[in-house]
Amino acid sequence: MSFVQNVPCFSILLAMFAAIITSAVRGKTARKICIGLTIIEGGMSAWLLSFLWKTGESYVYVMGHFPAPWGNELRAGMLEAGMAFFLCVIMVLSLWGGVHEIREDLEADKAQFYYIMADLLLASLLALVYTNDMFTAYVFVEINTIAACGLIMMKQSDLTLAAAVRYMIMSLMGSGLLLIGICLLYDMTGHLLMSNIKEQIISLATTETYHIPLLLTIGLISIGLAIKSALWPFHTWLPGAYGYSTVSSSAMLSSMVSKGYIFLLLKIIYRVIGADTFAGSHVINILFIFGIVGMVIGSLDAIRENNLKRMIAYSSVAQIGYIFMGIGIGTDAGVGAGMYHIFAHAASKALVFIAASGLIRASGGKSRIQDLAGAGFRNKLAGAGFVAGALSMIGIPGFAGFASKLMFAQASLVKAELAIPVFMALAVSTVLNAIYFMRVALLIYTPDDVPLVDAVAGAFRLRENQKHSVRNVQPEGVLSPEGITGMAGTNAVAGSTARADSLAYAAAILLFIALNLFLGICTQPVLQLIQRGLVIFG
Amino acid sequence: MNSWLTVAAVLLPIAGGILIPILPFRRRIHMEWYIEALVIATSVLVWCLLLHRPEELVLLRFTDQIVFTLRIDGLGTVFAGLISVLWPLAILYSYEYMTHEERERPFFMFYTATFGVTLGIAFAGNILTMYFFYELLTLVTIPLVIHTFTRDAVLAARKYIYFSMGGAAFGFIAVVFLLYYGGNTEFVLGGFLGSLPGGLNFNLVLAVFVIGFIGFSVKAAMFPFYSWLPDAGAAPTPVTALLHAVAVVKAGAFAVIRLTYYCFGTEMLIGTWAQKLVLSLAMFTIVFGCSMAVRETHLKRRLAFSTVSNLSYIIFGAAIMTTAGLAGALCHMVFHAIMKISAFFCSGAIMHQTDHHFIPDMDGFGRKMPWVYGAFTVSALGMMGVPGCCGFISKWLLAEAAIGAGTVWTWIGVAALLISALLTAIYMMTFVVRGFFPGKDFDYEKLRDVRDPNWKMILPLAVFSIAIVGFGLYSTPLTEFLSRVAAGLI
Amino acid sequence: MQIMLLCALFIPVLSGVVLLAVPEKWLPRERLRTLAVAVLFLTLAATVGVIFGYVMGQHTPLTLFHLTRQLSLVLRIDALGMLFLGFISFVWLLAGIFSLEYLNHETHERRFWGFYLLTLGALQGLSMAGNLVTMYLFFEMMTLVSMPLVLHAETHEAIMAGLKYMFYSMCGAYMALFGVFFLYYYCDTLDFTAGGVMTVQVWNQNSAILLVAVFLMIAGFGVKAGMFPMHAWLPTAHPVAPAPASAVLSAIIVKGGVLAIIRSVYYIVGAENIRASWVQNTWLVLALITIFLGSMLAYKEPVLKKRLAYSSVSQASYILLGLAFLNVGAMTGALLHIVFHAFIKTALFLSAGAIIYKTGKTRVNELRGIGKEMPVTIWCFTFVSLALIGIPPASGFISKWYLATGMLESGLPVFAWLGPVILLVSALLTAGYLLPVTIQGFLPGADYDYGKLVKHEPSAKMLVPLIILASGALIMGIFPGGLIRFLQQIAESVF
Repeated sequence: MSFVQNVPCFSILLAMFAAIITSAVRGKTARKICIGLTIIEGGMSAWLLSFLWKTGESYVYVMGHFPAPWGNELRAGMLEAGMAFFLCVIMVLSLWGGVHEIREDLEADKAQFYYIMADLLLASLLALVYTNDMFTAYVFVEINTIAACGLIMMKQSDLTLAAAVRYMIMSLMGSGLLLIGICLLYDMTGHLLMSNIKEQIISLATTETYHIPLLLTIGLISIGLAIKSALWPFHTWLPGAYGYSTVSSSAMLSSMVSKGYIFLLLKIIYRVIGADTFAGSHVINILFIFGIVGMVIGSLDAIRENNLKRMIAYSSVAQIGYIFMGIGIGTDAGVGAGMYHIFAHAASKALVFIAASGLIRASGGKSRIQDLAGAGFRNKLAGAGFVAGALSMIGIPGFAGFASKLMFAQASLVKAELAIPVFMALAVSTVLNAIYFMRVALLIYTPDDVPLVDAVAGAFRLRENQKHSVRNVQPEGVLSPEGITGMAGTNAVAGSTARADSLAYAAAILLFIALNLFLGICTQPVLQLIQRGLVIFG
Repeated sequence: MNSWLTVAAVLLPIAGGILIPILPFRRRIHMEWYIEALVIATSVLVWCLLLHRPEELVLLRFTDQIVFTLRIDGLGTVFAGLISVLWPLAILYSYEYMTHEERERPFFMFYTATFGVTLGIAFAGNILTMYFFYELLTLVTIPLVIHTFTRDAVLAARKYIYFSMGGAAFGFIAVVFLLYYGGNTEFVLGGFLGSLPGGLNFNLVLAVFVIGFIGFSVKAAMFPFYSWLPDAGAAPTPVTALLHAVAVVKAGAFAVIRLTYYCFGTEMLIGTWAQKLVLSLAMFTIVFGCSMAVRETHLKRRLAFSTVSNLSYIIFGAAIMTTAGLAGALCHMVFHAIMKISAFFCSGAIMHQTDHHFIPDMDGFGRKMPWVYGAFTVSALGMMGVPGCCGFISKWLLAEAAIGAGTVWTWIGVAALLISALLTAIYMMTFVVRGFFPGKDFDYEKLRDVRDPNWKMILPLAVFSIAIVGFGLYSTPLTEFLSRVAAGLI
Repeated sequence: MQIMLLCALFIPVLSGVVLLAVPEKWLPRERLRTLAVAVLFLTLAATVGVIFGYVMGQHTPLTLFHLTRQLSLVLRIDALGMLFLGFISFVWLLAGIFSLEYLNHETHERRFWGFYLLTLGALQGLSMAGNLVTMYLFFEMMTLVSMPLVLHAETHEAIMAGLKYMFYSMCGAYMALFGVFFLYYYCDTLDFTAGGVMTVQVWNQNSAILLVAVFLMIAGFGVKAGMFPMHAWLPTAHPVAPAPASAVLSAIIVKGGVLAIIRSVYYIVGAENIRASWVQNTWLVLALITIFLGSMLAYKEPVLKKRLAYSSVSQASYILLGLAFLNVGAMTGALLHIVFHAFIKTALFLSAGAIIYKTGKTRVNELRGIGKEMPVTIWCFTFVSLALIGIPPASGFISKWYLATGMLESGLPVFAWLGPVILLVSALLTAGYLLPVTIQGFLPGADYDYGKLVKHEPSAKMLVPLIILASGALIMGIFPGGLIRFLQQIAESVF
């Protein structure tokens, strides 16, 4: 037992500990603690990952040395460690990128609560990633839901409250289904530890007993988690939750939370139900079809959408569809592609959200698409970030999205009968993605003093008088001093805060772009991680 | 030569282009010299590379299967050689043209960078690399299309993106298919797919081919995905001339040729329904584009529709799927480039000098701008396929290839070529005739300010006109070279 | 010898280009005219040189250059080419001399001369072309450089007519090109060889598509010869041009199409290959229709120049009909008619031009008493009219005689007798549409006011060409022996 193997446990505990101590300090310190500890956890995960890469095996970590069925187990392989590392990275970057919005959207004395929620979110996600126990998983799913709700409604407005309530209801329905699934599993097998359940299920499957209940369980669990990760048609909570909350929340929710659930689903598929059993059930086809339909419908909704952040949120529906399509293909290659897309989408969607926030800020806080004309000139970094993210979403070679798109397509060729729907869905979805992302990308580089905005806005009409008011408030570069002065006391403080904010923002954007390019160009190591991880996943 | 020079040739214009807005040019002439020197240096480098062909270069490995290679082969030589001759001339022309446009520096940045990307397409060693540069080409040319920021330009840019990326998305299907069944094999004349990938439904293979073919031919503006091209005429004329008559659209045709001849292989495709389908689409576009051109009264749009039609000549040649067909297609690729760029430059010169865009407004200009109209007439005759101009040669080769293929489908294609030639005569010559013969009572006083542009615009026109006639009269070395390329000897 | 070939081609072409290119001030009107006529004489001299060389037995082809390795431009002279070369440059010179006076009332004289010479060059090239590709090249050239002659007046009508002319011609040229493509593929060579170069074997294997190709060539080149259904350009384009231009357009350029048909049918495909096929039948039918239609339309047409243009439609199809019968007699008749019609129609148009130039009258019913005003002109008109109608001993009779006997000899069902019948009907109609000018002109009727009569006789520059042409048309009819033997030889060589 090497010391590094304690990392899973430690990192979960550390995140919870961070939540506790942040509650005691004020906003700015809370942020520092939160980000600092997340970086540490990320480092630890990276360490673990490098250790596991060398050994090439997964291991089980028994909490407190109590054996099953009383004890609780964690299990770590390359995939888990990689996911944990990735979640930490995304979280840090999202918090950096949204730091200005957090300060602006939240009441000053409530900032620490935001970081508590963020810490809890990370803790629960890490637990979901590492746990080897169904019930623990359920518990952290609930914690996760609550933390996510907090993150949504932390920016207090009618819209976020409504969105949070909606999210809460849908999510609880999802966890309810999951719980019923877990109960049924327990009923059938008498175990809660994943590895134990799997043994039982294999024997059940061979003896053909409990065929219907097993199918039902698979369905319940899959649908439950699908609701939580916003697979079409269970995505109705998503646009509001992502579209109206503060930008860090949007980024984290879209890039981490839904991905955490998908990871859990994969884990259950591989480690509880067994990939073969799952592939033999018809649930997989339902996921496949929902995924493909989601890819198209999500994008169509996004095209119709008029609010930038909601548009990006709808794009998430489409992207989640990709991942479920990958799972639905039902081969290791498909799941690998889905896994890759989890990374790719997380990297690009968070980038797009954060860049969008910069663009909106540069346009005087207006988030309607037609108000963004010329925003790319006013905030160059955000413009670049948005374009990079958009290109990745569309799947331009060299960016992360292309690699996963390629993998999806190749995976589908293994099962030739799936190839045509997958190809068509990919092609159509690419076209649709191009339509709504490039429309905005063009618009933000269209000078707003050109009398054409009615043309650009296409379906939307722009009121002429708004353009000038927008231009009056344009800030220089990435700085956006307005709004900050109201919070901080003196100009000097405001200046330094603003500078720090913009530094963090710049770092977030640049690192996200780098991450995208890394995933797009250095595909091989990540792919190898996923492939080797999947081998030892089950 | 050192293989890394291939990369240098691709990167030089891109990097040099990015420097344009950064470098502190004190006077405009300095910038002009810098850009011209940059482009000529690249062209010289390219020609050195073409003459002393370096080894294949593996630039990057995405995954073990997906590698990024640059390699120069015969087909790439043709394309790279063509554009590296045209680019310096186009740059020279744009100096004068851009004096009445704003935001010169970003314009020249992207204009120069596009050179590098197009070279990338020409030098791409396998389908994935080509796909990469293909998408990149879309991206770097968007700012050029949208440059004027007029309503038309913005709409055109949007349409351009949607069509181009959409086309690539369908081309992607073929790319993936090839990657899966052929590995990331380098381009081989005759295809690397073998006779038929094991156990696959042959119709599926053909369907994938057709999808890929149509996808890539979106950039070549084949029916039904042609409408972006006329709209893209909203861009400044140097862009329309060089990119939307040569670089971008020919990149589409180039990709189609790569797909057909170098990936799937003609042996597998010839005589199948897939071939017939793409042939029919190409033939239809040939006639359709011309008919639309006849209807159009906006000069640049008319020329753009003419491009639509002429590009389908190339695609038609490629779709014949014989060596002769490929040779004809390549020949038309080269000659159409010269003819159409010349025609567009003339139209640009007219617009630059007079600000008129519609053909009825241009009556009587011929007497006042004899050089421009002379060049336009030469290019019109070329495109009509009058013997003695280069268009005749390529049309001849295409028609002979079509007849040689020996099927009724290709014979119909010959008819399509000739109908198109007639329509070309109609839409080009009406313009010329109106320019020279505005009518008996025409008041030339109205055109007092209309005159030929200065030498920077005239020089490229003169060079192109001489080339049109020169190649028309003596093209043996070129056609021989192209047929050797098509036969895989080079 | 070869230098003569080059001279015959390049003297008119280059001088035409030079005339168009040099600044206007270097060429005052007088110098321009002198130069142009000098060039016409030089061209005729070069032509005579070429013919002389040919008669002396120098038949070596001259390869100008290769377009591609397979496509070469070759100049070569043979008996048929010689025939065309001869009458073209001669008629051109006469019409040119006529223009010296006529152009006084036109503008843009420099442009006229430039394109006039260029068109001559194109026709010379067409006659001397040694293979199909060269011929096609000059055929296209001919269209392009003669278009400015049509729209010379620059009225809206003229410009539209010019465009119509070009588009019809282009359409025809491209139809023909379709055939050229196929012949090139299926023949080993496209060098003109009497009797054709197509082997029977290849023909039999691919006869279906090759018949289509040949038909398209006939129809396509036939556009230039005004063959139905693509004849409509001719009555529009010829009348609007200045009279000398319409004369050569109608008399010579129409023959360009005929020459192209002869070359492709008799010198590439071979007459035997299409004998009794649907192509021959359709060709016959089309030619017959055109003859009848042209005569009828001419009969109904009130404007003199238009009437003459319709007459050309009809007369050119005499030639095509003769060619379509595919036998020696009819072909001899056709070749004869080519020459005679060239003289006759030029003379007719030049007379019409003289009338317009002097009186400005264009419609036939305005021409009452014209014979009293310009007697020489109208006498010439009358003589050539008689020749065209075919009254012996004028030339038209000879050609029609040969045509008719050839048709009757051919033994084709229906056509063998239908042809001569149509010829007769058409001859009647010809009399009907040409003679009123003479009759009204000389016999204006009792109520004609002789007091108003003014002598309008044009100057010698106009009259001399007219007289030469008219007397040529007569003399050739009276002493046709040598010409007939020569043409018979040509006709026999291709069967």
